[in-house]
Amino acid sequence: MLEVKDATITVGGQVLAVGLSFMARDGELTCITGPEGSGKTSLLRTLMGFLPVGSGYVSVDGELLTVKSSQAFRRMMAYLPQQMEQLRHQLEPPEAPTSKADDYAVWGGGLSLKPVSETIAAPLSPEEILRLAAETLRQSADKQIIIADEPAARLSSEQTMQMLDLFRQQAEAGKTVLIASRKPQIVAEAQQVINL
Amino acid sequence: MNTSLILHTILGLLLLLIPAGALYFLERKMLPTFLVSVARMVVQLLALCLVVWALIRLDSPWLLLVWLVVIAAYSGWLVLKRCQLAVGTFLPAVGAGLLVGVALCSLWLLALVLPVRVFDARWFVPVTALLTGHAAAMMIRGLNTYVSALKTDEQQYEFLRGNGQSHFKALMPFLRRSLLAVLSPTIANLSGLCLTAMPLLLCGIFLGGMTPINAFVLMLHMTVGCVAASVLALALAIWLADRQLFDKFGKLQ
Repeated sequence: MLEVKDATITVGGQVLAVGLSFMARDGELTCITGPEGSGKTSLLRTLMGFLPVGSGYVSVDGELLTVKSSQAFRRMMAYLPQQMEQLRHQLEPPEAPTSKADDYAVWGGGLSLKPVSETIAAPLSPEEILRLAAETLRQSADKQIIIADEPAARLSSEQTMQMLDLFRQQAEAGKTVLIASRKPQIVAEAQQVINL
Repeated sequence: MNTSLILHTILGLLLLLIPAGALYFLERKMLPTFLVSVARMVVQLLALCLVVWALIRLDSPWLLLVWLVVIAAYSGWLVLKRCQLAVGTFLPAVGAGLLVGVALCSLWLLALVLPVRVFDARWFVPVTALLTGHAAAMMIRGLNTYVSALKTDEQQYEFLRGNGQSHFKALMPFLRRSLLAVLSPTIANLSGLCLTAMPLLLCGIFLGGMTPINAFVLMLHMTVGCVAASVLALALAIWLADRQLFDKFGKLQ
């Protein structure tokens, strides 16, 4: 169970939420919703210890979550970030760069070498996003908390239902499932909705 | 410097009449740039030779250590300029990475492999210079790949962290890419080494009076030392630069 009590969420000096309190229970699907820029992602990042809580607290099974202790708590979490389509390299590690003879190296005109810039990988297709989500959840069988940030943003209605099925299975297994989403399908399925 | 040396230097420089003449007839605008660059090369070469001459003449361990620190700092500055990273922020990490990486591999080569007196300037200066030059060149590729991979794939880092991986484990894919960027040109070209760049260096070693078999062994040791120093210096620089790259929440700065 994850509890947020009187929490203030602040990012870069901008207060996004004040006095926020809720409890995400085991076996339930909790949806955090609200307009764009309302602080859904920041709240999830706070729950994972990537951002500090301005005031109030976050606890997991009664244990206080702080930035210092967050690493230990994250071992209990599975996370599907926003912009999952950018995780191409998580699905397929990039190939080793090919080198031409004049790229050379030992004894060569070393400092004339140009730096190599990384290229942006092609975004994942909706099918690949679903595959990565399923794979991540499958590997997180021993984790108690599932956190997903706009997991269905790029999915069709049918694919959103498939994604929801994945989350439902996790909740049925007794896990705490927290999803930030504006999709009505997901909001309608949640046992608890937190409006920011 | 005697009269004969001056005369021979002038005779050598006369060879420049060939490219200068070609430029005069075909691309006259380039001629001043060419001459300025030759003049700069002569001054830099002379300054470097005077420094190395003084180091060998004085043969002081303290001066040799200063030499190592200076070339590591200068190479670090070059690396950061080439990678377009903030010199003020990253120079301590990159300079220290180069210094320690090169120092450890040089000590290994000088004390155990060659083996010679460690602080003998005739060995210390060329060994550290070669290792630093190579390590710096490879660091341009490695560091740039690392930073640019972290920027383009920041989501992957956050994904791994969010799924419970430690900071170090979440960096593994990026360290792998950085290592491949450093080692792939080395692996690709190591076999072609003898045909391209080595003859020049071998000529120098022969002029120094070494036998071919000793020259072969020395070149082999130096090549291995260069590859090892480049990987070690890169790893140290990345490790030392971690605090500058990430904030206390593990967010890329």
